[in-house]
Amino acid sequence: MIGATPGSAGVQTYGRGLEGLVAGETAISAIDGVRGHLLVRGHPLEQLVQRSFEEVSHLVLFGALPDADRLRRWSAELERFSEPPAPALAALQRVPGTAHPLALYRTMLTVAACIAPSVEQESDPAWSRPARILSWSASLAAAAIRHLAGQAPVPAASAPPGHAQRFLFQTLGRLPSPEEARAFEVSLVVQVEHGLHAAALAALTVISTGADLGSAVLAGMGALSGIRHGGANQLAFEMLAHLPDVDSARRFAREALARHQRIPGFGHRVYKCPDPRVALLEPHAVALLRARGLEQRHEVYRALRDEVERALGPRGIFANVDSITGLVYHPLGLPPSAFPIPFCLAIQTGWMAHCLEYLPHGAMIEPGAVYVGPVN
Amino acid sequence: MTDLATPSVLGTLGDSFAWQADALQWPVTTQVGPGLAGVIACTTAVSWIDPSSGLLMYRGVPIERLAGAVTFEEVVRLLITGQIEGDAAHTTQSRLRDGRRLPADVVHLVRSLDAQTHPTLLLRAGVSALGCHELSGDDELSGERHWRELRIVGQVAALVAEVGQHRRSRPPLAVDPTTSLAQGMLQALTDGEPDAEDVALLDLLWVLYADHGLDAPTFTSMIVASCLADPYYNVVAGLSALRGPRLGGATEQVLAQMLPLADEARARQWVGQAVEAGERVAGFGHRVYRMADPRAVVLRRELALAARRHGCPELFAVARAMEQEASRLLAPRGIHVNINFYAAPLFHLLGIEPAMVPCLYAVGRMAGLVARVQEALAQGRLYRPVSRYVGPGLDGATP
Repeated sequence: MIGATPGSAGVQTYGRGLEGLVAGETAISAIDGVRGHLLVRGHPLEQLVQRSFEEVSHLVLFGALPDADRLRRWSAELERFSEPPAPALAALQRVPGTAHPLALYRTMLTVAACIAPSVEQESDPAWSRPARILSWSASLAAAAIRHLAGQAPVPAASAPPGHAQRFLFQTLGRLPSPEEARAFEVSLVVQVEHGLHAAALAALTVISTGADLGSAVLAGMGALSGIRHGGANQLAFEMLAHLPDVDSARRFAREALARHQRIPGFGHRVYKCPDPRVALLEPHAVALLRARGLEQRHEVYRALRDEVERALGPRGIFANVDSITGLVYHPLGLPPSAFPIPFCLAIQTGWMAHCLEYLPHGAMIEPGAVYVGPVN
Repeated sequence: MTDLATPSVLGTLGDSFAWQADALQWPVTTQVGPGLAGVIACTTAVSWIDPSSGLLMYRGVPIERLAGAVTFEEVVRLLITGQIEGDAAHTTQSRLRDGRRLPADVVHLVRSLDAQTHPTLLLRAGVSALGCHELSGDDELSGERHWRELRIVGQVAALVAEVGQHRRSRPPLAVDPTTSLAQGMLQALTDGEPDAEDVALLDLLWVLYADHGLDAPTFTSMIVASCLADPYYNVVAGLSALRGPRLGGATEQVLAQMLPLADEARARQWVGQAVEAGERVAGFGHRVYRMADPRAVVLRRELALAARRHGCPELFAVARAMEQEASRLLAPRGIHVNINFYAAPLFHLLGIEPAMVPCLYAVGRMAGLVARVQEALAQGRLYRPVSRYVGPGLDGATP
């Protein structure tokens, strides 16, 4: 999938939407879109799902899994920023609860950015800035989700340790079960990094102007909020939620296929094989659904997937990660409009890593266009 | 039609913006450089820079013909619809102007923040909050209607005015639909009622900043739009790129270098020493132009007029002397004057503080941004390049 061109310089052939263009080199991840492997800093994703978000975020950002001492310090750094600035939480009172949770969350982050210290004010910005962004984001996202139901934010002070557990506690207002916490953490780990997708490119374009890391993350979130990107998991789940049983799922799939309709959660620009993240999440989704008596949802999902993949698999279209994350987040009690949020909380780790990798040598990003309009 | 399948053709044209064709056949083959230089990201009918003449055209009309002849509101219409005149001209104007009515909560939110926060950060927070008021979770997320209706351009202008008022500890301004965007802005950012010539000058500055290819803020917005994000997310992302010192900070650097210079002799001497010492002369150098930026040429004349009108002709004399000396020394290296060099002293004469200039640049650029986002939505393809993995390997995995 990467093509024969060495490096990114030189003559390249690519399609619409920069398809096939090698935009640069990275040491962060490799996607094998033919065999369905994701390699993060040399570690196969299958091995990383055994680990905590703290360990994996450290790996992605700093290039290596942490030893015990680094892990303790990184966890403490994440915890240090778990209480976001008060004005950012107060901003919720100035926006309607009918807004999309991603828009609420974005607004709180833009307010928090007005208060964050500048790089010059920090002793070790490469260490503390990513931690602040990850932790403020998680607490503010939890508050945004609660705001939808008219509930007040839950302070981080009483939360259990661990980034994933803390977010669930602050979102749900209760201690998650060990299965819930594990499933959610796995969902963060599998979505922690995914190459130069549209959101990562948006983040890189912003960092290339010399802007700050938080600004780059905001741009990435913008791309991710789109229904073609992170918003796809919400659409995929809403489609499933309308299907009462296996028969209607099969019928729906056949009709949609006959009409050549785009089916949310299927197809990927890079994977032309089953997305490896689906298989890693599926057992956790099944466990959570079963614990809530919702196994039916999984059967409906399987029926839809089988039908779509049987028809489109030969053309390289398979279920992607967005097809299944909703089956983890729904039994946890998150509303569908909030499903893009955990994706965002996870993958901003990868965007920041790409930004930090780009910064030392990166030229300002400015592609060209071919003018096809009038000339007077 | 240009033969676009031949790399040598595109390779020799080199830089961004440089291509014109009747149509484009994908895939394309081009020379690719750092920062995606030489990459064709899309086709466009919004603007074009002719690499041979250095002519910048909006919808095929050279900017020299637009400068001073049309208002910013008209250029918004030109860039977005391709026409200035027409039945809907009045509608465009009232949509732009009515967009300036902001919800009270958004004004409160901006005013609850420290007035000394960088204006671009306050503006970004305001745009984000506004999006929460304009769109609900049930709306169609791509918000095509919001792009079409252009209110968003007026909204950004109103927020910039509000940030300016907040910085000057003044109460919110009432919106008068009979005042143009430029007049309303100067009322908010400067003291007293602005005269007609200053209003025309701000219009001109906005016209010249309205579009300039796929620079980082515009390209960021196009990427975000290609994912079908909501319009306010687009603007938040674009403003995030505009914050970078390589873009928004240019005006401040120009003024910091220019204003302390007392006369032409000192200006020449300073430039000579700066170039000798290998320092950057702010307002010089551009990725695209291999000649003077045509927008700077338009603004040079404006600075001569405005400096005299404002009773400080020496500002023009100093700027001109700096430009001549810097051009003499730097042109052989392909470094030429750019728009910021003359825009900075003009914003200064208008009485606008340097910290607010990136926000004003943002208002102007909203025209091109909306036009290009509409194109990105119409072309309907997610931006997703790949990268070559050079990290630690593993047997069986892709290097």
